[in-house]
Amino acid sequence: MAFISYLLKRLAFMAITLLLVTLIAFGLTNILPGNVALLILGPNATEESIAALEAQLGLDQPLYLQYIDWVVGLIQGDMGTSLRYGTPVSELIAIRLPRSLLLAISATIVSVTLSIPLGVIAAVRKNTPTDLTASMLAFVGLSLPIFLWGLVFIYVFALTLGGFPTRGYVSPFEDPIAAIHHLILPASAMGVALTAYIMRMTRSSMIDELSEDYVEFARSKGLSERAVVLRHALKNAAIPVITVIAFQFSYAFGGVVVLEEVFSWPGIGRLTLTAIENRDIPLLQGCIIVIALIYMLSNFLADAFYAYVDPRIRYGGEE
Amino acid sequence: MTTTDSLLAVDDLRTQFRTEEGIVTAVNDVSFALDHGEVMGIVGESGAGKSVTAKSIMRLIRYPGEIVSGSITFDGQDLLALSEKEMRSVRGNKITLIPQDPMTALNPVLTVGQQIIETIQLHQNVGESEAREIAIEAMEDVEIPDPASRIDEYPHEFSGGMRQRVLIAIGLACEPDLIIADEPTTALDVTTQAKILELLNDLREKRGVSILMITHNLGVVAQTCDRVGVMYAGNLVETGRVADIFEQPRHPYTRTLIDAIPAVDSDRNRLYALGGSMPDLQALPDGCNFADRCPHAIEACRSGSDPALEPVAGAPGGTEAACIRADELDLSEPAVEEGVERRHRETHTEPLLEVNGLEKHFSAGDGLFGNLSLARTDGGSLTLERRYVKAVDGVSFTINRGETVGLVGESGCGKSTVARTVMQLLEPTGGEVYFDGHPLHELGKREIRSLRQEMQIIFQDPKSSLNPRKTVGQIIGRGMEKHDIATGNEKRERIEELLERVGLQASDIDKYPHQFSGGQQQRIAIANALAVEPELIVCDEPVSALDVSVQAQILNLLDDIQDEFGLSYLFISHNISVVRHLCDRVAVMYLGKIAEFGSVDDVFDPPYHPYTESLLSAVPHADPAQMSDRILLEGTVPSPLDPPSGCPFHTRCPKKIGDVCETDEPLPEAVGDESTHQISCHLSVEEMSEPVTDRPVAGSKVEES
Repeated sequence: MAFISYLLKRLAFMAITLLLVTLIAFGLTNILPGNVALLILGPNATEESIAALEAQLGLDQPLYLQYIDWVVGLIQGDMGTSLRYGTPVSELIAIRLPRSLLLAISATIVSVTLSIPLGVIAAVRKNTPTDLTASMLAFVGLSLPIFLWGLVFIYVFALTLGGFPTRGYVSPFEDPIAAIHHLILPASAMGVALTAYIMRMTRSSMIDELSEDYVEFARSKGLSERAVVLRHALKNAAIPVITVIAFQFSYAFGGVVVLEEVFSWPGIGRLTLTAIENRDIPLLQGCIIVIALIYMLSNFLADAFYAYVDPRIRYGGEE
Repeated sequence: MTTTDSLLAVDDLRTQFRTEEGIVTAVNDVSFALDHGEVMGIVGESGAGKSVTAKSIMRLIRYPGEIVSGSITFDGQDLLALSEKEMRSVRGNKITLIPQDPMTALNPVLTVGQQIIETIQLHQNVGESEAREIAIEAMEDVEIPDPASRIDEYPHEFSGGMRQRVLIAIGLACEPDLIIADEPTTALDVTTQAKILELLNDLREKRGVSILMITHNLGVVAQTCDRVGVMYAGNLVETGRVADIFEQPRHPYTRTLIDAIPAVDSDRNRLYALGGSMPDLQALPDGCNFADRCPHAIEACRSGSDPALEPVAGAPGGTEAACIRADELDLSEPAVEEGVERRHRETHTEPLLEVNGLEKHFSAGDGLFGNLSLARTDGGSLTLERRYVKAVDGVSFTINRGETVGLVGESGCGKSTVARTVMQLLEPTGGEVYFDGHPLHELGKREIRSLRQEMQIIFQDPKSSLNPRKTVGQIIGRGMEKHDIATGNEKRERIEELLERVGLQASDIDKYPHQFSGGQQQRIAIANALAVEPELIVCDEPVSALDVSVQAQILNLLDDIQDEFGLSYLFISHNISVVRHLCDRVAVMYLGKIAEFGSVDDVFDPPYHPYTESLLSAVPHADPAQMSDRILLEGTVPSPLDPPSGCPFHTRCPKKIGDVCETDEPLPEAVGDESTHQISCHLSVEEMSEPVTDRPVAGSKVEES
């Protein structure tokens, strides 16, 4: 009961946040410079044709009415029509979103498999050369932006060592092996960039847990250090790490906007850039909403997972 | 020293810690032996080396600590010679640990069952289901109700006392020969402590297991141990049979330790308090470590090395003391400070603080929807309801000028919330507070701020209440400036005077809080409170974090300055002995309400309200000759989110009379003609005076959760 209650509360929060996001997305895209009708019709358009197009697009309506129309459409699943492509925004996004998700999820998997063992080892060997090396490497990963990692990986693995394509996307349904082949470099580049935060969080959270009473008590039971670390401390240390992973996933999703450009990955990131370049307001708004939604969903899942891992949250918390 | 029949023999054990300031010898050549089936207490103040001794025996000392020398022989085996792997098969199997804090010693994300079964499977060659059965048996042995279903619950679903039972169940599951109990009841309320001690006594009788009881509480030692070792600054200074040591201590430190505790049936004599505190382990003095504080120290005590434990002439067998004068001193009588008589109880009649029907309800949970909760209505449909924690629910009392009123109760009863609400640090949700005639509940923030000069508060932990970045002079001076009491040189002089008055040096004015010990910091907090010349000081557990000898110093100080500065105290404590020692009148709180209010003698001597009676009986006497009949309460304090109907105590009351207790809330009634003694109970005074015969009435049994 408490668990459902907890999830319902999180969902209610999400609905409110989403409403705020629509306001911001709508407000921001409407203060972008440039007349949409003029952009569509070209520099030779007459005043009348611009006015006619604005009326057709509903752009002559007061802003609040445009907003309400848009939000009502959103609720019904109608995100409007792309000005540039002339097709429904929802269709454009539906094609590209899974590709971006594939990239972001793969990158998160790469970073988790790297960072958690590194973080645990660094914590167990606190203040030894191993710890310092691991922390230093993670710091290097952190200090370069994602797109630079992309360029480094392309240079090293595709151009110098060879064996990996520099760009492009292949659907895993058409050719799974080629798909993975194309995925490895962008996913690793982003994964490495994300590793640092998660590793540092794992390390500090693990160090905290290792000084807890229950760890000492577990040792007093005669458990081996390995069992103490993996069975007792890690599960507790994971709780704050999960938030960071969820946060990093959303960060990765922001990162794809740039990285997709580097690797010519036809996902939602490139779609967003195209929308900005072309003042394609309905498309841009749709992209923002979807990216925000992904962000919120990943945090919601983190909360739910949180509650799953930590029984104190699952059952409504302690006094 | 080592005898062949001892279960455990510790010889010249030395454990050191490397710190940035140098090497700290936490355990300094300690030797003792423990027989089969024996319960031995190791008692001492914080920093004495008790816990490090315990951890050394289990070889749980980790970097930067190290066992440097000595031997630990357990069951004929030299534990220090074992490999880490061999040692692991001893830990949790032959020697088990019951740790101090049940709230933190269990892993919050594993079920209780997983944590018991894990130990069993580690040391016994049994399958999952068999281990589970053994675990359930162990839970039964420690009297956890309904173990078969509770085994799959998580630690947070258990109360503190029940968690401590789980820890004991883990300790027992592999049938060890030795249990090391490291302050097993320190984190528990007194009524829960009584039950856990009873359980340990039972288990020891049934199983013949040996127990090494690490504690700072002489009462616990007196009620559970056969023998005791007293530790001071890393050394054992006295060992012997418990009865002998309480009868006639042979080391002056043991004597002062006993004298520093206010007895639960204490008269109001001044406590005998030593000056100073335990020496810094890195800068031990020449000669006896205790000489600087010892009232019997002579020149010879201050040279050479620290004396070793030696048998004392004329003392019963087994008594050893590390004191060069042990043979000649007679310490059988409590030390009395000469020339200082405790003032007599006076009657104070002019009211200073009047609290009427004070309420403080907190919204449960935080955030926008925090206190909303899904619930089922009687019809079974889901509804949302707002929930409140009734931390203080209709509390009334008065404090007269010059008087000390105690507020006593177990954790979670609302006593600290009363303190903060009275001070208007928390806004009351109902009721009236009059201070010196001013209705605080009606005043605005600014008026309250100017009245705050008259009301000061001292908290339990001076470390967190003194600003670490300010000097003592700046901390104390701030209030004086704010309330226009003194500035400039005059201020400085006043602060120096105050520091000297509370037992510090005038030169301490430019030091920072971290340069002082806990007891000294509490003195600074007291000086800080006095600086603004208040009428009332609210003391919220002011001595709970302090060692007994320091506690006695602070209690004496509070007592001394009361008349001198014309102070009234609201003294909040869970420690009945301390309240009884210091207070004129006392209010006993239970679940946000006052169960009983009256003069200390009326309330405690003899106790009337069943809760007061249970509370009093649960306090372990620091005197092995006084085995009191403890009333063991069922269950724990119910949640203030969902308090019981009628009398809040009815779910645990050993004298519950029937339905009236469940349906009608008892109102405070004056006892006889004395309007000053009020009891909230449906029983008549005669009924309350009868001894508790039966365990709680059938059907009223409430499970702890």
